[in-house]
Amino acid sequence: MLIQLKGGRVIDPANNRDSVGDVYLENGRIVDAPDGREPDEVHDVSGKIVMAGAIDVHSHIAGTNVTLGRQLMPELPLIASAEGQPILPSPAAWGAYATGIRYAEMGYTTVIEPAMIPTHAIQSHKEMASIPIIDVAGLVILGNDDYTLNLLRTSNVKSDELKDYVAWTLSHSKALGLKVINAGGSEAFKFNARTFDLDEQVPEYGVTSRGIVEAMQQAIADLGVPHPPHVHTNNLGIAGNVDTAVATLEATQGNPIHLAHIQFYGYGKEGDKGFSSGAPRLMEAINKHKNATVDVGQVMFGQTITISGDVLRQFDGRRAANPKKWIINQADGNGTGVVPYNYKKKSFVNALQWAIGLEIFLLAEDPWRVLFSTDHPNGALFTRYPEIFHLLMDKDERSRWLDQLPEASRQVSGLAGISRELTFSELAVMTRAAPAKVLGLMDRGHLASGAVADVAVYTDQKNKTKMFAAADLVFKSGKLVVRKGNVVDVSWGRCYHVEAGFDSHIEKRVRSFYETYYGADPSWFGVTETVSDRPDRFATIRCAS
Amino acid sequence: MDSTLQRAADLLAQARLPVIGGLFTDVNGAAAALALAQKLGGVVDHAASGGMSRAARVMRETGSTPASFGEVRNRADTVVVIGDGPRDRDPELLDRLFPAKGLPRPGDNKRELIVVGTGRGKTPSGIRATVIDGKQALPELVALLGAAVRETPFEIRDKALAKKILSAGKRLRESAFAVFVYDPVELEEPVLHTVLETVRLLVKTTRAATLALSAPGNGDGVNLCSTWTCGLPVRTSFAGEVPENNMWAYEAERLLKSGEADALVWIDALDGADAAPPTRAFRGIPSVVLSSKPVKAGRDDVVIEVGAAIADHDAAVYLPPIAGIGEVKATSADSSKPTVAEVLNKIGTLIDAKGAA
Repeated sequence: MLIQLKGGRVIDPANNRDSVGDVYLENGRIVDAPDGREPDEVHDVSGKIVMAGAIDVHSHIAGTNVTLGRQLMPELPLIASAEGQPILPSPAAWGAYATGIRYAEMGYTTVIEPAMIPTHAIQSHKEMASIPIIDVAGLVILGNDDYTLNLLRTSNVKSDELKDYVAWTLSHSKALGLKVINAGGSEAFKFNARTFDLDEQVPEYGVTSRGIVEAMQQAIADLGVPHPPHVHTNNLGIAGNVDTAVATLEATQGNPIHLAHIQFYGYGKEGDKGFSSGAPRLMEAINKHKNATVDVGQVMFGQTITISGDVLRQFDGRRAANPKKWIINQADGNGTGVVPYNYKKKSFVNALQWAIGLEIFLLAEDPWRVLFSTDHPNGALFTRYPEIFHLLMDKDERSRWLDQLPEASRQVSGLAGISRELTFSELAVMTRAAPAKVLGLMDRGHLASGAVADVAVYTDQKNKTKMFAAADLVFKSGKLVVRKGNVVDVSWGRCYHVEAGFDSHIEKRVRSFYETYYGADPSWFGVTETVSDRPDRFATIRCAS
Repeated sequence: MDSTLQRAADLLAQARLPVIGGLFTDVNGAAAALALAQKLGGVVDHAASGGMSRAARVMRETGSTPASFGEVRNRADTVVVIGDGPRDRDPELLDRLFPAKGLPRPGDNKRELIVVGTGRGKTPSGIRATVIDGKQALPELVALLGAAVRETPFEIRDKALAKKILSAGKRLRESAFAVFVYDPVELEEPVLHTVLETVRLLVKTTRAATLALSAPGNGDGVNLCSTWTCGLPVRTSFAGEVPENNMWAYEAERLLKSGEADALVWIDALDGADAAPPTRAFRGIPSVVLSSKPVKAGRDDVVIEVGAAIADHDAAVYLPPIAGIGEVKATSADSSKPTVAEVLNKIGTLIDAKGAA
């Protein structure tokens, strides 16, 4: 069936397009304007904005850690809703089903779960398979697991063993890429370290955080995995940590890296309170290091919950739990910390965090390398995205918010002095084109012929919150799934993953490791097609080598 | 088979408050049961949810401090086993927690075992074990051990026991990684809180955690599935506008006794585990039974033979060694019997068709 979206303003920065025109969909793909054929279905979208479906590069939507958060705080949607946040007042609003529905209503069609635990990949995939409409992918966590650390300790590791192990882990868990969270820090926590810096050594293993990240970058580059290592670096959330972020960037030596939720590393220690915006310095470094991409991790005021494999950081953060309850899960590899948190407008620190996130977006010279995220739910629930788009696209809206913040926070932030307003094209880069490129999902994030027919249509209006909260139309793989902000057809998406080649000897070594130290059989956590009952659930992304 | 499923659909479509209980099934079976409960406006409960529900409530009130089985086995220098439950549930537990070979672990202490509230059961050879047991009930002993850790003075008549408790408290403070092992079924909520508070005191200066034995019948797997599906653990009702969890009100046993439930879906289909039916099950309450073993159901009940997860078909279930859900390959695949998920999904489709007609 040929579908025509007629007369909309088509925003497709990947193809340098921002003009009024038509978009055609057929058999689940975008197609060129057909010669002399009448479309079977025409949607008049004149006066509307037409974009590719949005892609979320970093959102905790599934898996052991997220469900641990749900167990700790089933009342989260009720509190958030009572505060006026856009979420239904039901524990189920935080469940898998509602996640897919709400993302689709906002025009999102692909979401990346960035913290899949290798041994719990089955749960992650089961959860992701219960999320309707959107396509998904998982990033699998390594870097605090004893197998990796042991390989790096010997430092005379048979050259390809780490590469094989990374490839095996990616394949075994059906992951799209690799996540590294506070490399070595969670392991150090197991030896009772309470802080862990870039050049500190992991007890017993001797390797440094820097060494682990470098080794992972090399392995991913050698394997030709399209998405670079997705790194949550050390010292998250600490005053002065902009130094760590800059040092991490310097350490990459030109190899590709993706730094996650960079707002949480944009902190200087100037001013009376020893806490200030490090955004200008951070952005100077990011603008300079063209090998690096980042996502922002914007903070919004209100109740949320922080869920992180950075167990060391979360252990410290437990003191700020609001409400006063927390989980520290000391598990194989990274473990997890789950700490509820309420970002307060009147708090000097929270107000500054909010401002720093926006500064980062607005100081980005190249929106292709500064991707949109709130690190859902850590900075804010994903249902807040429309409000953030509004803040980025409308300086008057920013001023209205800024006026309500503590004077002290405004003084140490440069946000008030920034008049930039993101254009539709820039927003489409940060939320569509760039995530697709960084993830290696080349068939989406744009509207060229051949792309998967994921399309979102919005009514252009001054109030961008309203505009992006409810898409007029959303097509997922060519199928109309949302009309006037409501889901009209619950379809099911696919899960993307890489198949990286490895020497099969690694399977024997890993098996022996798990049998000896865990009494476990790695086949238990190997993800197969049958993890979902839909036969075409999985789609493979090729590695370059 | 089709007419049997139609009878099941008819029976359930008429029910005002059906309870889906037992739930000794794999994660796919649990997902299908939750979908059916949502469709019917019913309740889900698991036959071994007693301890899980208490633990869930404690977690919701104040949090938790779990350690994975692998972490305890490889890195704990002091393992505190509370009560008989852990070793009754898993007779090999201590051997597996004290393996010959482990990963690098914190501190220089030799590994030690402290057993609280029982003199029964063997301890691994070569491991120093302290048994804290006396006339006091288990909750009292746990509280005294907590006091010893906090260095709060206490008085008991049994001076030898007091000395042991004080020494255990000192050992815990000096441990590099102390872990308290228990079966939540054996401990009431105040005791669970006491253990948690003791851990929270210890982590101020050292490392400590808890290791709760998982519930039988894939209870933890079912509970996790319930949580990611609707945001709440089992003992949840879908009768209202939003799902509601209540560990007392939505217990299958109570709902059948009180007569609030007017239909039961009983699921018992896991290899190597038998679900104990509620007292009033199959006595006048219209039931649909999915079982992999022979059952004595009522005359008018609908009984459907299904495959046993793990034996007859591959199954995703909670696996303690990985502290999470994993998939186990079937021992002798018998595809002639349907899975719980297949049967429940078909019943759901028939109910939909009935609604549409």
